Amino acid sequence: MAVTGTAAPRAAQKGFNATSLAVVAALICAAPILVVAWIALTGDTGDYLAHLAQTRLPTYLTHSAYVAGVAALGTGLLGTSLGWLIARTQFPGREFLGWVLILPLAVPAYVAAYAWLDLSTAGGPLYTATNGLFPTIRGSWGAGLMFSLVLYPYVYLLARDAFASQSADAYDAARTLGSAPWHAFMHTALPMARPAIAAGLALVMMESLADYGTVSHLGAPTLSIGLVRAWSGAGSLVDAARLSLVLVVVALFIFGLERAQRRRARSVTGSGKTRPPQRFVLGGWKGIAALLFCLLPLALGMFIPLGRLAYLALSEPSTTDLLDASLNSLTLAITAAIIAAALGLSTAYALRSKGIIATMSARAAGLGYAVPGAVAAVGVIAILSGTQQILDPIWRDLTGAVFPILLTGGAAALIFAYLSRFAAAAIGPAESALSRVTPALDGAARTLGATPLQTARLVHWPLIVGGLTSAGLLVFVEVLKELPATMILRPFNYDTLAVIAHSYAADERLGEAAMPSILITLVALLPMVFVARYLSSRSAGGQDR
Amino acid sequence: MSTPILTIRGARRRYNADTPALQGADLELQSGTITALLGPSGSGKSTLLRAIAGLEPLDAGEIICGAQSWNGNGPAVPPEKRRVGMVFQDYALFPHLNAIANVAFGLNGSDKKKRALAQLEAAELGHKANAYPHELSGGEQQRVALARALAPNPAIVLLDEPFSGLDRRLRSELRARTIASLKAAGATALIVTHDAEEAMAVADQLALMGGGRIIQTGTPDDVWMNPASAAAARLLGDVDVFTGKVANGQVSTPLGDVPAPDFKPGQLVDVLVRPAAISVIPADDGAYALTECRSTGAELAMTLKAADGSHWRASTPAPCDLRTGDSVNIKLNQTFVTVTNSAG
Repeated sequence: MAVTGTAAPRAAQKGFNATSLAVVAALICAAPILVVAWIALTGDTGDYLAHLAQTRLPTYLTHSAYVAGVAALGTGLLGTSLGWLIARTQFPGREFLGWVLILPLAVPAYVAAYAWLDLSTAGGPLYTATNGLFPTIRGSWGAGLMFSLVLYPYVYLLARDAFASQSADAYDAARTLGSAPWHAFMHTALPMARPAIAAGLALVMMESLADYGTVSHLGAPTLSIGLVRAWSGAGSLVDAARLSLVLVVVALFIFGLERAQRRRARSVTGSGKTRPPQRFVLGGWKGIAALLFCLLPLALGMFIPLGRLAYLALSEPSTTDLLDASLNSLTLAITAAIIAAALGLSTAYALRSKGIIATMSARAAGLGYAVPGAVAAVGVIAILSGTQQILDPIWRDLTGAVFPILLTGGAAALIFAYLSRFAAAAIGPAESALSRVTPALDGAARTLGATPLQTARLVHWPLIVGGLTSAGLLVFVEVLKELPATMILRPFNYDTLAVIAHSYAADERLGEAAMPSILITLVALLPMVFVARYLSSRSAGGQDR
Repeated sequence: MSTPILTIRGARRRYNADTPALQGADLELQSGTITALLGPSGSGKSTLLRAIAGLEPLDAGEIICGAQSWNGNGPAVPPEKRRVGMVFQDYALFPHLNAIANVAFGLNGSDKKKRALAQLEAAELGHKANAYPHELSGGEQQRVALARALAPNPAIVLLDEPFSGLDRRLRSELRARTIASLKAAGATALIVTHDAEEAMAVADQLALMGGGRIIQTGTPDDVWMNPASAAAARLLGDVDVFTGKVANGQVSTPLGDVPAPDFKPGQLVDVLVRPAAISVIPADDGAYALTECRSTGAELAMTLKAADGSHWRASTPAPCDLRTGDSVNIKLNQTFVTVTNSAG
């Protein structure tokens, strides 16, 4: 057990080698991007891409920027104001809302999009009720709006924790220097929280760039759409890889921004003893207004879409058997979650050793965060077909038979793609869970007579199990919602709930799409409740190291 | 002197090329005594403490406890085999365990809850047995940490700046309590601190540390009265230093002649003058001018300027009607003056 740099006997540290597992995680996460980049830069230029560059590429880029921009604006306004309300004010229902506000993360953006387009389209209930005054939710701004409704929790969480951990000193100093409350907030509290907010916005933009289901349903031709068309329409791996590279470069740029802002967030928040700020007590109508404002995103992002889909599902009873797809979805999500949590934990332990290989592996694995699902899928296809080309002749020489086709290898390829995208999502939480286990705790346990293994079992495990579970559950939810990689990589006749929902929605058979959509959301909501409560108890705990 | 329970010889530890933390530290701990390890930050105090606990390996040197070598040839004895209790600077209480479970962590056997409770009751914290660390005040956390370290009845207790996180009033109260607990347990203790007053207050033995080495050891009185060097003297309080050459068995200083019988003529020496050594006598035609006068309550702290322009600190019991700008004569009390080899 690589516990720390304690003077434990070498033999005791050999039990398991965290660094080698971190290297595996890094390879899984980085391999698809590297292969995609290699193919994109070395492959022949197909006609499709030349044609594309002249015609569609500028459109894809503009719409991607438009969608990401609207999403950032919407989540920024919603997330920051909700974060401030929950962290710095007191009103009825605040504690409950503190974690409930995280739940819309369980709703896939495409599910919200199915419901809202159906409600607002010409002839839909909202359209009819308002005599066509209510705008139809579609196109790039519509997609951006949907992302705002379900992705704002990323900004909300980071902003809330930044506001809550700020010391009141800066704000008070501004007040003694003559600032009115609002001015003092705008010039101290908000700038101090800005890096955290920016990090949240970067996550939102990466998610909206990676999305396929929402933009395809609402008709916003972004880069992801182009990518899926290049592969499934034109069937060109090189062209798909080239578009992937464009997408990855954009995502990596935002990713770099996010990392830089997180580093700044830590320096701005500072360490040591801070005096927690007083909450503004919002009484009377102000309290009710705050309550209603917090309920609004929950209604728009969760209750109204789910309600509409439930109505559709009930009014047009489905004939589709969802059992196999449900089992497939669950199997994939659970497997990916467990492996991702294990890789995340090993990487976190490797990081603790502060070794150079461990640190570089963790950073490389972290890059996976920036890899859109479709790109990961293209990378995995490239890796598998490359391996196939190498193994085919060898296998024929050895056995005389045809080598089994790897691409139809099934769920394993899917898991590979999920991991390369989502394992990174487990590293961060595992790392922060393990950071609660300070070296002094190890020292205390060891001087009290615990062996390294006992230290891991009695001190580490109880302290990290919550964070690790929450990391695994987040990956579970993400895999359950995942669409583009699944569409590209799934074996023939292998459906997941997300794929079924998407195919029906694409055929305008929303009654059939409703049930799988509801199932995804409900199954994702349960683990999300655990994650939300875990994340909120830790920040409310305050003194808890 | 009795045989030491713990002997450290030539302990060396280097984290990276530029910053050696320990450069050959030697120290002995006597059974049943409380030793204070005093030094400025970065002098290697905490590293030495962690090395004794087995939490930090040594690059060279030896730590011997009784007849057993902890760090020497062969594999180092792991921390859990050393029977060393440690109180960490931030206490390192296990956040997921309540007070009694924290104290019971190092205990074995069916009666461990009972023994842990007894230990907590001795610290007058029996009523907080079920409280979690974040529900305890800073002082209570410190007491739980000490109770946890003492519970397994360790051979040696190490305390790393155990009072640094507390406010002044609480600090002196807890200091007295901690010493009482350590004495009651008959423990051999090593307390790391950078506060001279604290070191003097708690220690049977003082060990002064600087630059990764132990620069002087002895009883607090002995070390205070006879510092081995200017660096050692500065660790224990204000001191002004005059560097000069010995002539005729004495050194001429701006404060008058100081006897230096043990030094050879022409040798360069440091004359260490504590503020208490200088008695001030008001005189209109005095040879010294008061450039600063400040009451600390019980004392008047002064700075005076000698004819050669050098400045010296002096103190006298308050109240006193001296003012800045007054001229004075002085009397030098040789008890508070020490002559040592000059550091260069």
